[in-house]
Amino acid sequence: MAVDLERILRPVDNPLKPFEAKYMTLASGENMVVRQIDRDDVPDVLRHIEPLLHVERDFYDVVAARVYAELLAYYRHRMQDEYVLVAQVDGELVAVVNGREVTPGLGMSLHTIALRRGLRVGAHAFAAKMEYHIDTLGHQEVLIVAESPIGFRRWMIEYQLEKRFDTPHELGGVPSWALTKELFDRARSTLVVGRRPVPPEMLAKAEAKILPPSDPPTPPADLLAATRSLYDPTATALIAQRTLLGGEADNA
Amino acid sequence: MIRDIYAYRCRKCGRLHYPFRMVCKECRQNDFFDFDLVPLPKTGKLLTFTKVYNLPAEFEVPTLGLGIVELENGLRITGQLEVDDPRIGMAVRGEVKPVRKSAYDTFYGMVFRAG
Amino acid sequence: MRDVYVGGIGITTFTRLEYPLSEIAAYPAMMALKDAGIRDVDHLYVANMGSARVNHQTALASAVVDSLSLTPAGAAVIENGPASGASALKAGFAAVASGLHDVVLVSGAERMREVNNLEATDFVATLTHPLAEYIYGVTLPSHAAMFTRLYMEKYGLTERHLAMVAVKNQNNAMLNEFAHLHQPITIEGILDSPEAMTNNPYVAEPLRFFDACPVSDGGAAVILVSDDVAKTIDRPLIRLAGVGQATDTHAVHEREEPTDLLAVRRAAAQSFEMAGLRPEDVDVAELHDAFTILEIVESEEVGFFPKGEGHVALEKGETAIDGSLPINPSGGLKGKGHPVGATGVAQAHEIVTQLRGEAGDRQVDGPQVGFTCNFGGFGNNVVCLTFVREGR
Repeated sequence: MAVDLERILRPVDNPLKPFEAKYMTLASGENMVVRQIDRDDVPDVLRHIEPLLHVERDFYDVVAARVYAELLAYYRHRMQDEYVLVAQVDGELVAVVNGREVTPGLGMSLHTIALRRGLRVGAHAFAAKMEYHIDTLGHQEVLIVAESPIGFRRWMIEYQLEKRFDTPHELGGVPSWALTKELFDRARSTLVVGRRPVPPEMLAKAEAKILPPSDPPTPPADLLAATRSLYDPTATALIAQRTLLGGEADNA
Repeated sequence: MIRDIYAYRCRKCGRLHYPFRMVCKECRQNDFFDFDLVPLPKTGKLLTFTKVYNLPAEFEVPTLGLGIVELENGLRITGQLEVDDPRIGMAVRGEVKPVRKSAYDTFYGMVFRAG
Repeated sequence: MRDVYVGGIGITTFTRLEYPLSEIAAYPAMMALKDAGIRDVDHLYVANMGSARVNHQTALASAVVDSLSLTPAGAAVIENGPASGASALKAGFAAVASGLHDVVLVSGAERMREVNNLEATDFVATLTHPLAEYIYGVTLPSHAAMFTRLYMEKYGLTERHLAMVAVKNQNNAMLNEFAHLHQPITIEGILDSPEAMTNNPYVAEPLRFFDACPVSDGGAAVILVSDDVAKTIDRPLIRLAGVGQATDTHAVHEREEPTDLLAVRRAAAQSFEMAGLRPEDVDVAELHDAFTILEIVESEEVGFFPKGEGHVALEKGETAIDGSLPINPSGGLKGKGHPVGATGVAQAHEIVTQLRGEAGDRQVDGPQVGFTCNFGGFGNNVVCLTFVREGR
């Protein structure tokens, strides 16, 4: 009985062409590998996403919560035709991007989360995701939304996406924008980078183990200090932080 | 309608200024508004230029050309640049057009093209 | 004039600070008071550029002086664009030197990350000429870019030199616990690899992303005291020996020789003259590298290197921490960050730290004379300070 019900609940995935791994040199001189992971690797990623649920800054909390849910849904067969790409530097997880195929011609970009800041890892990972949609899966169009100002600047302005405000995005709420094949071709020379094939030892290192991020965004002592300090010029947010830092935890 | 941007000529010593200043830089005369308005010429050569990618939010364009132009009469002016392949020293011709919209205000300024 | 000494210093980390602006100004002030071991000050100057526009708060000094319970001491804000910090130090210097006050606390603070980067750039751009520059979309990066293009044409400077400044300063910042950027970069990553042009895109041609300083929040404080008070403070004796300030035309295009930064030249000369020193006496300098090009040009204009040869000295490594004239050991604005109002005070903070020999991993070898250049506008209002270590 349970098995039968699971058969009804579980979507049947269409076969998607795999993403061919690539690598690129970052501003720091390190090499970053972007590769596709499969279901079995998802728990290794989730454990590094979870702490970000409590980072209010730059909407990490919102994005991490949704990435967590989407990856979990992928892992436990509750979302159809989803894929997950990870970016790693020396095995260390630095970014996660995911999306899904809606129809053979239409892609749905879900989320991009960077675990290292200031090196464009998120931008590179996002470009790899778009490359996967347009070049590998052959989508005519990818629907995209932004949930943070950083995302908006990166995607909507850098790629000059087209408005699709009448088409709802699967993430709900925010209006949709679209990356078409034509826009992608225009961005190809400046925004889409990477070399293939990945040297075998580099790829082997990445595949061997997803290592924890070395310097992930961390939550402040007072989880809502940023918002509170905006509306509270009397600095009680600060006092609350100090209390927390001093160990006299009273978050009432 | 042809619009102009004005330079200011000191009535005492004849020195031209752009933009406006209260006191002449040359003779430092101190009479109030002792200047004649002189329309700036529209042609000159490009002194230096840039293409800006990070613009204030009011500009709804991805990039903007900016340059400093040395006009025919020797005065210099900063303006926007609508030239595909700018080079230092090239001849440019300006036109006064809207350059910035801010809330309900439209600001006019010099926009240069090749020629 | 009386001699003026540095009694105490304090600084916050430069980063995004999710604190009210008044606290960002008060925190380093408290550190400076602790450092000097004093409780009372005669006057407070707060250096800040954008509190009204960015943070919707005016009369910051009144808030800070009360927050520090220093009332009824006098307090005022000094707003002078990105040169606010050193301008406030100059005001403090004048007050102590003249005998008006014995102890003046100067605190610089800025909180720019309250708004997004585009708004922050627009806020700083309001210092340009409102009718001849600002309306066209001229920003500080675009001024620096147009200047760089001329400099490249005239003196053979290349993008590689600019990248070398970025790498040097960002690596220096790795050694500075208070610096904004703790992210090493390499020439390969920002210039040579196939991905470099995407890692390091143009912000205003020919300047790239890693040529510009980050937008930072932060505060720094310096206490200036008279000779009598300095004797009672048990800290190495550092004298603020020279103060120079000069201005130039508001609209950049009005300058006769567009590759000169005359205000820097004049402010530095004034500062050295007052101190009775020459550029070659300087052992360590903090220059205003809001853009990498500026470090090179300022190093020439203040007299460290001949005009057009700053990049040669850079190539030879003379400006590295272990070079003959270390420039921006703190990481500079490029690596340490640039909270505009705080920057001039933070430069003084670094020089005092260096002269005291307390700079840890980034310590320059035994400096006696330090120099700062705080560059306001696009070189239209510049303040240069010379610090000397004395005896003790």
